[in-house]
Amino acid sequence: MTATVALTTTRPRWQTGVRVAGLAGLGVIALTVALSDMIARAPADRVNVRQVSLPPSAAFPFGTDIAGRDVLSETLHGLAVTSEQAVIAALTTLIVGALGGFLAARLRFRLGYGVRWTAGIFGAVTPLFLAILFIAVTNRGLAPLAAGVAAAPLAFARTFDRASGLASSRHAEFARATGIGALTLLRRDLVYEMRRSLLAIVGRGLASGTIILSTVSFFGFGALPPHRDLGLMIAGAFTTARASGNFSMWWTALFPALALALVILMARLAAGLEDGTRP
Amino acid sequence: MARFGLEAALRLILGLIGAVFLATAIASLPPYSAGGFWQSFGSHLVSVAHLDFGTSRVSGSPAAAELLAHLPATLLLLGFGAVIALVIGIPAGLLAGFSRAAPVAGPLLLVLEAFPLFVIGIAMIWAATVLYWPLDTAPAGTAIPGDVLSLPFARAIALPAILVGLGGAGAIVTRLRQIADTLAYAPYREGLRRLGLPNWEIGLHYLLPEIAAGVLANLGEVMLALMGAVIVAEWIFQWPGAAAFVIKSVALSDWSVAAIILAVFAGLTLVADFIGALVSRALVMADHP
Repeated sequence: MTATVALTTTRPRWQTGVRVAGLAGLGVIALTVALSDMIARAPADRVNVRQVSLPPSAAFPFGTDIAGRDVLSETLHGLAVTSEQAVIAALTTLIVGALGGFLAARLRFRLGYGVRWTAGIFGAVTPLFLAILFIAVTNRGLAPLAAGVAAAPLAFARTFDRASGLASSRHAEFARATGIGALTLLRRDLVYEMRRSLLAIVGRGLASGTIILSTVSFFGFGALPPHRDLGLMIAGAFTTARASGNFSMWWTALFPALALALVILMARLAAGLEDGTRP
Repeated sequence: MARFGLEAALRLILGLIGAVFLATAIASLPPYSAGGFWQSFGSHLVSVAHLDFGTSRVSGSPAAAELLAHLPATLLLLGFGAVIALVIGIPAGLLAGFSRAAPVAGPLLLVLEAFPLFVIGIAMIWAATVLYWPLDTAPAGTAIPGDVLSLPFARAIALPAILVGLGGAGAIVTRLRQIADTLAYAPYREGLRRLGLPNWEIGLHYLLPEIAAGVLANLGEVMLALMGAVIVAEWIFQWPGAAAFVIKSVALSDWSVAAIILAVFAGLTLVADFIGALVSRALVMADHP
């Protein structure tokens, strides 16, 4: 019996390796973002009409775009803008979604179910549309908050359902029977739950925040020049190519897209592959 | 089962009522004709009760007429995309979650999933240009190109439907991976193996119903992913549907049109959630009478 339990509850070693690789990758990205102004050879949005549309070369490893901007420098600046905004989005999802869901599940008089119903309605609308709506009603400067709030209903529902299960679990019944207060029980469950899944929630929030923010920018609802993010850079390259019918300047979209994919991949790896319900 | 069905139906009705309230709140956004938000909300709610969904600020047509003009194209794209999502998502999810290749397939699929859909859409357009694939998807205003059974239609819908399918497939793969993780720790698998049952029999009679029930229980999330993909696909491929139209409506503060399209999209997700929950429950009940 002991052997069976040991066999079935040990996390495969490769999954731990994947998570460590993701965290290391996020660390490298954070370092690059912190030093982006020093690493980049040109300031953000610097135009040079004497070097337009140059393909990747030794002088310009990522090439230049139609306005003569160095794509490598622009990608670094864009990565910094996207990453900083994605962190705000992830924290918003964590607080409004995950933490909100946990606390709502412990509200008295079943008030939490009313909040859960509201979250369910927002959760029936695709997060991308919610974010665009939020930005349209407020302003573009709040795009990171919009991305976080848009991803929050799903995180809220997930955490609420988990916390409701915990509130009616055996250990909760024993705790109540032995006179342990509701606040103490809440604190204990919150600490255990966050220790178990904080990294996964933040990792997933970072990935979804990056996707929503870049897509919103691609649609023209997000960042504005000179603070171009990766989504806006890709949108610029795509619009130029479509308008001219010339898709030969692949480097203007490819390198920002790869940087974007790298952030999302590392965030997802850090969140871990295994996110089922364990006994 | 009957009690579960009634509870699910009640949840659906409450959800639909909530979606109507949310849409009404959006339709009540400024500029107001008179008074503030709450007055506007009240008058819009009365109008909605009389099935008057307002008029478009841009075209002057009734919002319902705008919806009806654009929704068929979106539903077609959604339908074809859903089929592609199943065809790609189920084998990929089984490979990433349940096969011996999971340690390789799992991270590999994560790499593919790391590319946002709009990036994949642009890559598809680039590939289409290189391969001389015709991209004139919406030549005449809001008309769907060609008859549904015609070659021009098939050519026009192929790329957007694949993009929508990839979006849906991502959600199915994620769900299958979660189920695989849950079932990996189910003690009965080891027990059945020790009783002498071969792996294929355990898989067919015990795992498969649980996998199907698990995916169906989250049908709403799959629908949500498909909806998000439809927005991106319609925008990039200029497909004349309601999803791209709603983005333009929001940009132009055409709130009546945005509200009615939002209500329909939310309704579709809620209905998918309801149907998925019922069928999933039926599968579980058939397995454990």
